[in-house]
Amino acid sequence: MRLLLHIAARMGMALLTMLSVSLIVFVAMRMLPGGFEMIILGPIQTEEARAVITEQFGLDRSLPEQFLSWLVAVLHGDFGISMITRIPIADEILRRLGATVQLTAMAVITALCVGLPLGVAAGLADSSTSVRTCGRLVGALGASTPDFVLGVALVYIFSVWSLGLTVGGYVPFFEDPLANLRAMILPASTLSVFGIALILRTTRESVLTVMTEGYITGAVARGDDPASIVRRHVLRNASLPVMTVATIYLSLLLGGAVIVEILFTVPGVGLYTWNALLNRDYGVTQSAVLLFSGVIVTCNMLVDIAYALVDPRIRGRRQQ
Amino acid sequence: MLVLLVLAGAFGPFLPIGDPLAIGAGPRLSPPSLALPLGTDELGRSHLPRLVGGILETFLLSGAAVLLTGVIGISIGILAAYLRGVTDGLIARFADVLFAFPPIILGLLVVSLAGPGTLAVITVITVATLPLFIRAVRSVALGIASREFVTVAEVAGASPVRIMAVHLLPNIAGAAIVQLTYALSIGMLIESGLSFLGLGSQPPNPSLGSLLQLGATYMSIAPWLVFPAGIVLALAILSVNLVGDGLRDALDPIEGRRLT
Amino acid sequence: MAIWRFVNLIAATLVTGSLVLVGAAQAGSGGSIAWGKPTEVISFDPHVSGDGASWSFFHLVYDQLLSTDDDFGLAPGLALSWEEVSATSYRFHLNPDATFSNGRAVTSHDVVANFQRLTNPESGGVWGKQLGEFEAIEAEDDHTVRFDLALPNPVFLKVLPLTPYSILPMTEFEAGTFDPAVDILGSGPFMVAEHLQDESWTLTRNPHYHRAGHPLIDELVIRILPDDSARIAALRDGRVDIATFANPDTPLLLADVPGVEVVVQNTTNYFRLDVSAIEEGSPFTDLRVRQAAHYALDREAISNIVFGGQAIVDYPVPAGLGYEACRDDPFYVMPRDERLAKARALLEEAGATGARVGVIGSSTLMIYPLIAQVVQANLNEAGFDAFVEQIPAAEWYARVFAEDTDFDLAVSWFAGYTDPAIVLFWWTQAGAAGWAHGYTITDDRLDALVARTRMLPEGEERNDALAEVCSVINENSNVLALVNKPDYVALRSDLIEARIGRNESTFDNLKYAEEFSRLD
Repeated sequence: MRLLLHIAARMGMALLTMLSVSLIVFVAMRMLPGGFEMIILGPIQTEEARAVITEQFGLDRSLPEQFLSWLVAVLHGDFGISMITRIPIADEILRRLGATVQLTAMAVITALCVGLPLGVAAGLADSSTSVRTCGRLVGALGASTPDFVLGVALVYIFSVWSLGLTVGGYVPFFEDPLANLRAMILPASTLSVFGIALILRTTRESVLTVMTEGYITGAVARGDDPASIVRRHVLRNASLPVMTVATIYLSLLLGGAVIVEILFTVPGVGLYTWNALLNRDYGVTQSAVLLFSGVIVTCNMLVDIAYALVDPRIRGRRQQ
Repeated sequence: MLVLLVLAGAFGPFLPIGDPLAIGAGPRLSPPSLALPLGTDELGRSHLPRLVGGILETFLLSGAAVLLTGVIGISIGILAAYLRGVTDGLIARFADVLFAFPPIILGLLVVSLAGPGTLAVITVITVATLPLFIRAVRSVALGIASREFVTVAEVAGASPVRIMAVHLLPNIAGAAIVQLTYALSIGMLIESGLSFLGLGSQPPNPSLGSLLQLGATYMSIAPWLVFPAGIVLALAILSVNLVGDGLRDALDPIEGRRLT
Repeated sequence: MAIWRFVNLIAATLVTGSLVLVGAAQAGSGGSIAWGKPTEVISFDPHVSGDGASWSFFHLVYDQLLSTDDDFGLAPGLALSWEEVSATSYRFHLNPDATFSNGRAVTSHDVVANFQRLTNPESGGVWGKQLGEFEAIEAEDDHTVRFDLALPNPVFLKVLPLTPYSILPMTEFEAGTFDPAVDILGSGPFMVAEHLQDESWTLTRNPHYHRAGHPLIDELVIRILPDDSARIAALRDGRVDIATFANPDTPLLLADVPGVEVVVQNTTNYFRLDVSAIEEGSPFTDLRVRQAAHYALDREAISNIVFGGQAIVDYPVPAGLGYEACRDDPFYVMPRDERLAKARALLEEAGATGARVGVIGSSTLMIYPLIAQVVQANLNEAGFDAFVEQIPAAEWYARVFAEDTDFDLAVSWFAGYTDPAIVLFWWTQAGAAGWAHGYTITDDRLDALVARTRMLPEGEERNDALAEVCSVINENSNVLALVNKPDYVALRSDLIEARIGRNESTFDNLKYAEEFSRLD
């Protein structure tokens, strides 16, 4: 019961957060210099023609009125249309979500597949100074290389010698899986490097922490098989923090792969939001930011609930 | 490494390596030579002084922003931990809201509102690093606020301000410094990312991000523009991170958790 | 090496009329050609759209009454022939084969309704104003249209090939089945099959296109690739066959890509510098300060440093159109050190030495901030304290092209179109109304001069009038022409045969797309 209450409270909080983010984005967007009517018509145009556009999209109504009507529509599941293409925003986001989700999934899976074993190995072999230094350096280097530095280097290498992979040229996976993978491997690897570093570090640290616990020492003293110690105790106990950072990393990618999407011309939601913000396609930006904040908030909430489920102590402490 | 980079940045303007802003110092896009050790860029400016200037710009802007994060974050974090209740709840929600913004979108919004330039970059970095920093400070301060000596001070009639300044502040300083170092590396990431997207420091002032962005256009014919900038940027952030790790091990081996 | 290839290419383009690459090749039939385009189309209604990036797309789908040839001259479009009935009356004979891609023939009613929509201030916007006033637009029969102008306008015909005067299917528009803001339906060589925003446009051949057997290809795919490197990579691995660039270093960047030829397309467009002349607080409200800035400009430096010497100095009367006007203006011909001295003296006289001024170079075009940086250096040499502002398009538009302006200087560009009178119209009060009146002074003398130039037929008298207009414009130093703005078209001449126009004044970069064919 307490747990259910806790979850309900967290969900209420999450909704409130999303509402605040929407409101902030709405107000900020409308305070930006230059409106949609300027972008769509170009600089050389008459005031009459601009007025026609603002009236058509109701941009001349008062701000609270516009926000409320947007909010009411969204609550009814209607995200409106893009002012540029007049296509329903929900359809367009759904279409582009494919690219973003695929990119994120590829990056997260790569990060887990590479980061996790390396982290465990680094944690277990911590007594060796060279392994320790090496693990640290790799982790720090991965976390320190900005994605656009890596992306630019990859674009350079693969646009000079194609090497089977393509820069740009995204096609949906179900249309042509091979061409899709050829276009997605580079952006996904660019994104995954940070994740590898993150997961490597976290895994290594949690393994180290677990290794100092009494039951490990006990198991070792009992002469248990080392492989089973690792499997049964070390991995199980180290999994929570790793899951936490992986989830946070996932939420960051879903909302933050803008630079990589721009760099590799991946037509995902990040690029959509970015262009919409530059083109003042207000409804698109609002809906996309709502989606992003929803993902981030949900991921955080899941982590929180997972902690509460696994370890009531944590819940107790967190509620102090 | 860090020392070397900081020194290069700080004393760059006084080194006899040329003017970073002099247009047409050599032919455009000319390869490295003795007179122009890193060649010239798309406007014929010597690239080496621009690179050095870019290091300074990146460190200065992110440093200033992180200082701001430190001041605001420590005050808010302590306040939240000490007062608890409604204040704490409000501050936690505030941090949640900031955290729920995709950073690049937030950057574009702030830059468009404030107009591009130093002020906007500092604001973006501060806003982006603040929520995590507040959380970290709050959690450390929470632990300390429940310690005995704080209760003793309260009983002895010390004012809340005094308790926060004299008892809490010094005890979280170590953890805060470690977190600030990490915030600095994130700040540098953000600063260079904004400049890479053309939203950071304004031309002709060099920034590592903007050097990289223009260099990327010319990388097939003038690789000397893009690669030094990329390597220096990664190294700069790496060295800050390593310093952070070192500080953490020295000051606070258990409590410190990485920001990222 | 690369430079030499480039110079050869220019020489070749100068010798031949229009460039046919790989001439001997057999014309293929069918197949698909992909065009790597740097910018997405943002407005779909040609009548009100104001950006060149959208215009070059519209020409693939829409036709205009007239078209241009490779020497900026007029050529038939939807109208196969036309006659000047009197100084104020023109008659057009439409191509009876012209058909919209939905299968309905283009009739004179479509043409009449188009120009009525364009001249209606509610729907036509700024482009209707270029047409002047009509007494009547009449459909004499299904394929003959007569325009009666209120006043003689020798430029009338020259305006018609421009994109905003595209002929839309007005019968469908009136029936409510065609909305120009959403639908794209024209009588041009191609029609839209699919649009994935920020990704691609798939155009298929208009089966009813009036030119029998054309287009030769079945499909033209437009891939939106904003990044120069991505477009180069796509050219290299053959994902696109043709790509357009704005970067003046395109020939250099593509020099080592096998099979690629770069055509430098001469345009009549030129970069310009807008000067804030009426906003309170701007130092440039003082004519002397404006003139100081003008004298301080070093157009050769802009050409050499930003364009690697490839750009040519440009004038309010576009250099590309070949007029001699403006060539001996003191703002241009005085040696640079004398101009600098003059600039310093003027600045001192106005008490504005050290004035802090911002130069907006929007990030919209990679070239803008680069030009702004050279302008900044030029101004600082003359005693200004200039700084560069690199801002996105919307901010730039809002600060410059608005009622309340908030800027000092801003880099931009003008389309020169097919005749100087068209671009000079923007300098008059009527032309600037609604977008440039926030920063341009009113000068009745200039208005009268431009109006007079518009009325004069080609010849000596018109040239003199143009020279006079030019000197007044330079004297005012309110909008300064900088250097020309060529377009760059790169194509895989080992994969496709594509004729690219040498001179282009209407943004119809792929004017001969209907003749493109694959070699493989």
